[in-house]
Amino acid sequence: MATAPLAPPTPVARSARERSGAWPLADRIAYWACWATGIGLALLTLAIVVFMLVKGLSFLHPALLFESPSADIKQSATGGFLDPILGTLLVTAIGIAIAAPLGVAIAVWLVEYGRPAALARAVESSVEIVGGAPSIVLAIFGLGIFAQGFLAFLSQRAANGSVYGRSFFAAGIVMALLALPLIVGSTREALQALSPRLREGSFALGKTRATTIRHVLLPSVRPGIATGAVLGMGRIIGDTAIIKILLGGLRVETVGGVPVLGLLRGTGSTLTTYVYEFSPAGEGNAPQKAYFAAFVLLLMVLALNGVVTWLTLRQPGGELPRKRWMDLWRLSAWTR
Amino acid sequence: MRAPRLLIASLLVAAALVAPASAFGKRLIIDGSTSMLPLVQKLASAYAKSTGKPAPKVGGGQSAVGINDAAAGRVDIGDASRDPIRGVDPKGLVFTKVARDGVCVITNSSNPLPNLSQELIEGIFTGAIRDWSRVPGATATGPIDLFDRDAASGTQDAFQQIFLGESLKISPSATPESSEGLEVSSVGSDPSAIGFTSFAATINGGVHTVSLGGVPCTLRNAKSGQYAGVRNFWFVTKGVPKGEARKFIEWVVKPGNKTVRSIVSSEWIAIH
Amino acid sequence: MDRDSLTYDRQAARPARGGRRAALRDRRVEIVLGAAAFAVLAIIVAMLVTVFARAWPSFSHNGLAWFGPGGDVDAQLRAMQQLQPLPGHSVYWFRAWPLIWGTLLTTGLAVALALVIAVLAAVFLTEFAPAPVKRVVDPAVRLLAGVPSVVYGLIGILAIAPFVNSHLISQHRKESVTYVVQLNGADLTTATLILMVMILPILVAITADALESVPPAWREGSLALGVNRWRTIWRVSLRAARPAIIAATILGTARALGEAVMLAMVSGGRGFAANPLDGLTFFFEPVRPLAATILQNSEGLSNQPVMHTMYAIGAVLLVSAAMLSLTGWAVRRRLGRYGIQT
Repeated sequence: MATAPLAPPTPVARSARERSGAWPLADRIAYWACWATGIGLALLTLAIVVFMLVKGLSFLHPALLFESPSADIKQSATGGFLDPILGTLLVTAIGIAIAAPLGVAIAVWLVEYGRPAALARAVESSVEIVGGAPSIVLAIFGLGIFAQGFLAFLSQRAANGSVYGRSFFAAGIVMALLALPLIVGSTREALQALSPRLREGSFALGKTRATTIRHVLLPSVRPGIATGAVLGMGRIIGDTAIIKILLGGLRVETVGGVPVLGLLRGTGSTLTTYVYEFSPAGEGNAPQKAYFAAFVLLLMVLALNGVVTWLTLRQPGGELPRKRWMDLWRLSAWTR
Repeated sequence: MRAPRLLIASLLVAAALVAPASAFGKRLIIDGSTSMLPLVQKLASAYAKSTGKPAPKVGGGQSAVGINDAAAGRVDIGDASRDPIRGVDPKGLVFTKVARDGVCVITNSSNPLPNLSQELIEGIFTGAIRDWSRVPGATATGPIDLFDRDAASGTQDAFQQIFLGESLKISPSATPESSEGLEVSSVGSDPSAIGFTSFAATINGGVHTVSLGGVPCTLRNAKSGQYAGVRNFWFVTKGVPKGEARKFIEWVVKPGNKTVRSIVSSEWIAIH
Repeated sequence: MDRDSLTYDRQAARPARGGRRAALRDRRVEIVLGAAAFAVLAIIVAMLVTVFARAWPSFSHNGLAWFGPGGDVDAQLRAMQQLQPLPGHSVYWFRAWPLIWGTLLTTGLAVALALVIAVLAAVFLTEFAPAPVKRVVDPAVRLLAGVPSVVYGLIGILAIAPFVNSHLISQHRKESVTYVVQLNGADLTTATLILMVMILPILVAITADALESVPPAWREGSLALGVNRWRTIWRVSLRAARPAIIAATILGTARALGEAVMLAMVSGGRGFAANPLDGLTFFFEPVRPLAATILQNSEGLSNQPVMHTMYAIGAVLLVSAAMLSLTGWAVRRRLGRYGIQT
């Protein structure tokens, strides 16, 4: 496929008829409408970012990033963001840690094996259903499940014995459900885009399918898996409904004495619920805090966007084929 | 095949850790009134500090949720910011009084109503009076924007009980808000708004508190009894409090407890 | 499953090296992976079964009238929360029409507006924007997609709603409906506007991509015949991109349907069926869509009737999302014969 790239076409001066000034009125209106929309959207984005920055900075001092929220009445002047930031990181980590292996396993099974066919179709459809389900429905489902007695080890019990049902575990597991379709989709695309010669060569050398998957295919689709994981992270970070319902509280509180498990069984908050709580919709009434936390959240999402772009452009062979970028985009645009 | 063995071993270790952890995982769980939330959160951390036990977990949801959860055994203690209502509350509940709280009528800062009489309050909140022109002393003009609280709110029921009595009901066209914070911010951003909220929520400013029958709504007046709009805060338990719940409640209502008294007196009315 | 792996199956069933142990290991891996897939399938099916099973009591007490109008939704929810049935009805009595109507209104209007603006913006990005402008506007639109819904809700409730209240709603308008409902800034207009901004990036991205995938020969042919650029786009490119636009619309609608947080913060709190016959006031009346209702009642789920009702609403949302996917797939298949595949 190596041909010298064609010389770019020399620009030709537009004739009088082609200049937009000469078009019929209706077409000219459409032309200007397009321009207005494009510039308008860019200005809108700028306005949102600047608005958050200005409102948030009025409350800012960097120490806030390292203080914990306080239970004061005067919420507008006290407390920091440390716990919500920790909460966001923890929930994202749990979610991806569960979703990534499962997602890759499912994708590999769907592409490489996929027998019986009915099971494969059922798995595909169910993953798509979860991808399209609103996160609030997943959240109330989680609340019902984790309040059952046999899952008490995932959260804590009240002194009278009933299961609380809300913890980092609970939120993390439901978040994994949220990120799963993205990882499955992205990995599947990457696997299907691999040249068949890769597999042929490996089989010709006498390797089993399992070895081929482990040593040949998976390393080749690492960028695809990474992209799916980052898209999943983006969706997890931006979600509020699941956290609000499945992670009660504000400060990170551990349960029982065991170091890591106690934290996972405990409760806390994330940046998204922090913003919700301190906005007028929640219990607190400190909009400045909400703005600044929202700004930090925005920065996180920006960073993730940058990572996704960098990852997708790093494909072997240069630019990602447009179709794949579009499909990934489509995947990431599902309900947040 | 070392990998599966390692996996099984680590799972066993995790299970072994989790089992005893369940034994320590019990702590008090409290939820209910959003008006009581700041108070009970402070009491919970003070309790943890003074007794070394894990701090009770405090949530919101409004009074009706607290009462229902306590009755169903889902939480240990429910917070209720209104008196028990016979026929509505589930049977078998025990209400323990914790503190008292002032309820203020609030208007937007651009509309500093100096005073409201009992008749005017009844008229405005039942919807009989719908325009600011019929309210003496109001600088706002046009229709009155009425804000009340959600169905599950204890503050709503308390306001009803104290200010409107048994027979009158708040106008159904009022906009319901589901928390104190939302009520204050809605009234604070709408020039023709009027609503009601707990005294403690007005400390941050942003709204104007209206005097009732000539008596300003301040903590001092509420404590002295001059201001009539005062309601009770209750801890609700299913039956007589037992075990951990009993220890916490007894710690809170103990007569000589200086820590509790200073916490409550800061923005509420101590009764012990 | 791609066709190639069928051939590989036969070839790889007996690995050249390693003999039976290798074949067994292969089989084991397949079983493990299949088990993982089956486990996830089981969890998802369990979720669907749980949601529908818990939704059933609410539907069985109300029948099909669950979807219809009748009474004040807020009063019905209040009756459930206090376990005090309204006179003449069971405690499960619920008529979700105001909520459904609110959902249809906000979603429908938002998608319709977003479609128009997105097509214009996509055309701008692919056709009319000079390269430096495109380099700025493209990331800007992608950034909009990444803003979490709670941030939109925050801006809506603290900036847009007061603006609408003080500048767009006149006192006269408030007076005209004061006996029925209050108008403040949290209403249909604010909710629809913000929802529109939320689904714009999806529509813009997919449409822009589809426009770029139109075979250059089609465009060049049209231009060569003397048609100006706008008409070429309108008649040729956009038409060819129809399947993609439909797909984008379905995606946008699914997102709008499931949006709970932003709408709960902004859309007005009262389950009120906005009446189009009210004229312009219609746009300023409060609404409460289905997903926002679940969120607002999420803390009271320990109450049985409330729980069943909320699960019922969740079931309706799930079925709508599934039907949307199905519709999208069917429409794309029909239109896909002549247009650009997404």
